Amino acid sequence: MSFLPNPITRKKLRRFRSLRRGYWSFLLLVALVLFACVAELFINHRALAVRHDGRWFFPTYGAMLPGKTFGLDYEWETDYRDLRARLHPHASADATTLATAAAARARGDFILLPVVPFNPIENCYAGQYFKPRAPDLAQRHFLGTDTQNRDILGRLVYGFRHALIFSVWFVAGVYGLGIILGCAMGYYGGTFDLLVQRLIEIWSNIPFLYIVIIVASLIKPGLGWLVAINVAFGWMGLTYYMRTETYKEKARDYVAAARVLGASDSRIILHHILPNTAATLVTFVPFTVAGAIGSLTALDFLGFGLPVPTPSWGELLSQGTKQLTLAPWIVLSAFSAMTLVLILVTFVGEAVREAFDPKKFTLYR
Amino acid sequence: MSTRSSARSTHCFVKNTILLAATLLLAACAKPASDAPTSTAPAAASASPAPHASNPARDNSAEVAAYYKAHPDFFVFKAPADLPPGLSWTDGGPLPELGSPARKRGGTWQGRIQDFPRTLRILGPDSNSGFRTYLQDDIFLKFGQLHPDVAGPHRFFPGVASQWAVDLPAKTVYVRIDPAARWSDGPAVTSDDVLFMFWLNQSTYIQAPWYNNFYGIGENYTRITRYDDLTFAITLKDARPDLLSRVLELTPTPSHFYREVGEDYVTRYNWRFAPTTGAYILTDNELKRTATNRNHISFERLPNWWANDKVQFRYRFNPAQIRLRVIRETTTAWESFLAGDLDAFGMNLAEYNYERLPDNAPLVTRGLIAKSTFYNDIPRPNYGLWMNTARPLLSEREVRLGIQYASNWALVIAQYFRGDYTRLNTPSEGFGDMSHPTLRARSFDLALAAEHFAKAGFTKRGPDGILVNAAGQRLSVTLTSGYESLAPVLTILQQEARKAGLDFQVEILDASAAWKKVQEKNHDITFSAFNVGVELFPRYWENYHSVNAYDQPYLPDGTTPNPVRKPKVQTNNLQSLAIPEIDALITRYDTSENLDEMRVMARKMEEIFYDEASFSPGFVMPFYRIATWRWVHFPENFNARFSTDALEQNVHWLDESQKPGTLAARRDDSKAFPSSVRTYDQWKPKE
Repeated sequence: MSFLPNPITRKKLRRFRSLRRGYWSFLLLVALVLFACVAELFINHRALAVRHDGRWFFPTYGAMLPGKTFGLDYEWETDYRDLRARLHPHASADATTLATAAAARARGDFILLPVVPFNPIENCYAGQYFKPRAPDLAQRHFLGTDTQNRDILGRLVYGFRHALIFSVWFVAGVYGLGIILGCAMGYYGGTFDLLVQRLIEIWSNIPFLYIVIIVASLIKPGLGWLVAINVAFGWMGLTYYMRTETYKEKARDYVAAARVLGASDSRIILHHILPNTAATLVTFVPFTVAGAIGSLTALDFLGFGLPVPTPSWGELLSQGTKQLTLAPWIVLSAFSAMTLVLILVTFVGEAVREAFDPKKFTLYR
Repeated sequence: MSTRSSARSTHCFVKNTILLAATLLLAACAKPASDAPTSTAPAAASASPAPHASNPARDNSAEVAAYYKAHPDFFVFKAPADLPPGLSWTDGGPLPELGSPARKRGGTWQGRIQDFPRTLRILGPDSNSGFRTYLQDDIFLKFGQLHPDVAGPHRFFPGVASQWAVDLPAKTVYVRIDPAARWSDGPAVTSDDVLFMFWLNQSTYIQAPWYNNFYGIGENYTRITRYDDLTFAITLKDARPDLLSRVLELTPTPSHFYREVGEDYVTRYNWRFAPTTGAYILTDNELKRTATNRNHISFERLPNWWANDKVQFRYRFNPAQIRLRVIRETTTAWESFLAGDLDAFGMNLAEYNYERLPDNAPLVTRGLIAKSTFYNDIPRPNYGLWMNTARPLLSEREVRLGIQYASNWALVIAQYFRGDYTRLNTPSEGFGDMSHPTLRARSFDLALAAEHFAKAGFTKRGPDGILVNAAGQRLSVTLTSGYESLAPVLTILQQEARKAGLDFQVEILDASAAWKKVQEKNHDITFSAFNVGVELFPRYWENYHSVNAYDQPYLPDGTTPNPVRKPKVQTNNLQSLAIPEIDALITRYDTSENLDEMRVMARKMEEIFYDEASFSPGFVMPFYRIATWRWVHFPENFNARFSTDALEQNVHWLDESQKPGTLAARRDDSKAFPSSVRTYDQWKPKE
């Protein structure tokens, strides 16, 4: 079952590694994914570390710390940027502020903020009116802010994270359904195959976008709902590939041999047919991921995606197109990020396809 | 019944959303028309349209006469001699004249619509669209017109009527039609057109249940009496202080045009232009042209309009043509405006007023485009948080009070509306002295919020900073809204409420889905508003009477809340308020014929609502803004007090001789004209 030690698989992986464009894209993509996983350490309104009155705090993960934890007079979440400003006041501040800050520092008080000290849903210009602001390194808005004064870099990164989570669930769902039904169709064939094929034909003709619009208008679709709807209308394509693959493999001698040895259907499918179709499946994964990111972005763009104020690329793109002349940095950021990720995924996909190309490895050459 | 004065209803919410699009998105209101009918060719707009191949000729005269006969108490025929003696006829007396004698006639007004209209009918499905403004609301002459600058109940000037007389004890208004009044296709306007108006609006053929109900026998009107061709009287159910407006604001209906009304009204009349008493018509040629080309639609001014030289009309309706181009995207429309292809653009959105065309933009400083801000004084849409007191957490007054103090509307106004808007103080603002003069909405105050939440048992904060009570229940409520374009408002409220330990679960739905949820009383809190036309006094029954809150609000004693009561669906009591004292006040208020007495009751009710704290008042847009090209002119110091946009009075005019020079100067930086950035604040509310 396990195919890693399999020499052919190892050969495939070696081949993949030798395709430099795809391999580097893969490494970069992995780095981006890892970055998105720990984005809180780089882009967050919470401080990474605070030392106050001799105690250390690491607020990034965990429960919120009210302002009074750090000697401030409020119950809600600490404003760490304000805390830092108190500890490191501007040179032009009045003497008392400077003295208090110096005393606190002398006591060993310390604060370390992330590189971008904003979270993706907060208004970064408190008290000021909404207006997209151009990239400003001094303010740590490396890509500027959007129409609601929110940091665009933050929205991009956390939007990417949502897109990833969406893709993972989408791929899992589509592959789960596609493999089970496709295998069953190919393996059992006959009436079952015919029936499911007709079902797929009917199902494929239901206009997906309308369904999404209707559902989005009736409920507030969270990530789970979006995945469910997308999977419900996205599983059909894979069944056909699985069906043909299974048909093909089923006719091979090793399957007949396994059957003669008395292997059950489930054993034949799981232990013999599936591993031999894995190559086909794997080559589709990157393109499915690209498709998932694309469709989530499209839905968000149209306003049928994730609920506000969830960060998302589609929402940024939609803002950006409306602000094309006033704030071109919005659409530029979102567009570049999306292009980059989709290109990377596609490069990986191409490399995987080439590395797994059966013509190179098949025994029936 | 104009759409402006239509009652609060679902209908109204849709309109409201549309109004929002108009005021906040700068877009002309319209529903997305993806499937504009194409099969029906426009019929001729003449009085008796040529029978269409698929539309055999029909004459409903007999049916109408039979209907009148069947309802002899409603449709009454009398002789002029039967007019009661001693009626005091009036024409409203002298009122300031609208428009300017300096106006120029002629030119083509270049306007924009978002979609080609789905119908030219003014009744029935799809008819309540933005295009109705041009077919009816701003153009059509009613019997009497409200003067847009003068306050009070008797500020009408003659439109189609020449005189009227009120018999208050008999709840009747007598009207004399102006003998000069003509339909745009020739015939005179007569009393028969008034009787026919009731027949048409009561008929089920028009597929307009709201109108069927409003005009229904005994609903608002109890009798229409015809004395002669030009004299009629209408009797109402109640003699409310707004009696006169209920009659004079009716619109006569051209009976000769609607002779073919029957089961197929909706399709048969879909592309026919109904004759009007107003100045602008769609010609037969235009109807033919738009059958195939729907990029634009143009209204022509009648060459010999009957009210051309009539007082109050002689300086208005100046352009010779109104040309409306279909431009779907607001940003595209904006580019068209900057190119000089559109004459005006609504500047209500801060983004347009401050970013796209700031006061120091070259086009403005060089005097090519004028910017004007007009403050108005009209009943305000009551944007705010409507809390459903039938819901578990919100049934507690302390929680509601906490929410009041945890809602940072000041920040919404400062950040999102850039300080242009003001805070709404009561749900019934803008009714002059009928509104409460001293009540002020509660300001954002975290200490007070914490105090009230603590009284309700919410003292500790959970790990996410949200308050929890002893039972471990989080202080979390859903905030439902259908205003997608106002999502940032909710985001601000949500972020600020977190400081108070209150969690707003923001739920933005499609407008109609949100309204459905609210109408089924499945909401915790909804952010919405009711739009009100210019009316004399606020209405309370729909929003506050207990019969609109629960099926059986009280136990038989009439005051104790019924423990097993069920929320009543499809009503506008969004707060599920059931307060015996309010019920009693509303009953008296709704039958009162005395404005002073009503004022006292209205204020009393507003105070009770304030104490209930189930409505958190939001914001008011106390003005409208418009940018116009240099060739567009308004009368000196023009600022209609009771108006919602600068064009609805039709007092503007075009000086097309200025157009070529202005457009040429657009590309020539050295050319400049006197710049014009003006704020008309005579009706600005005093703080």
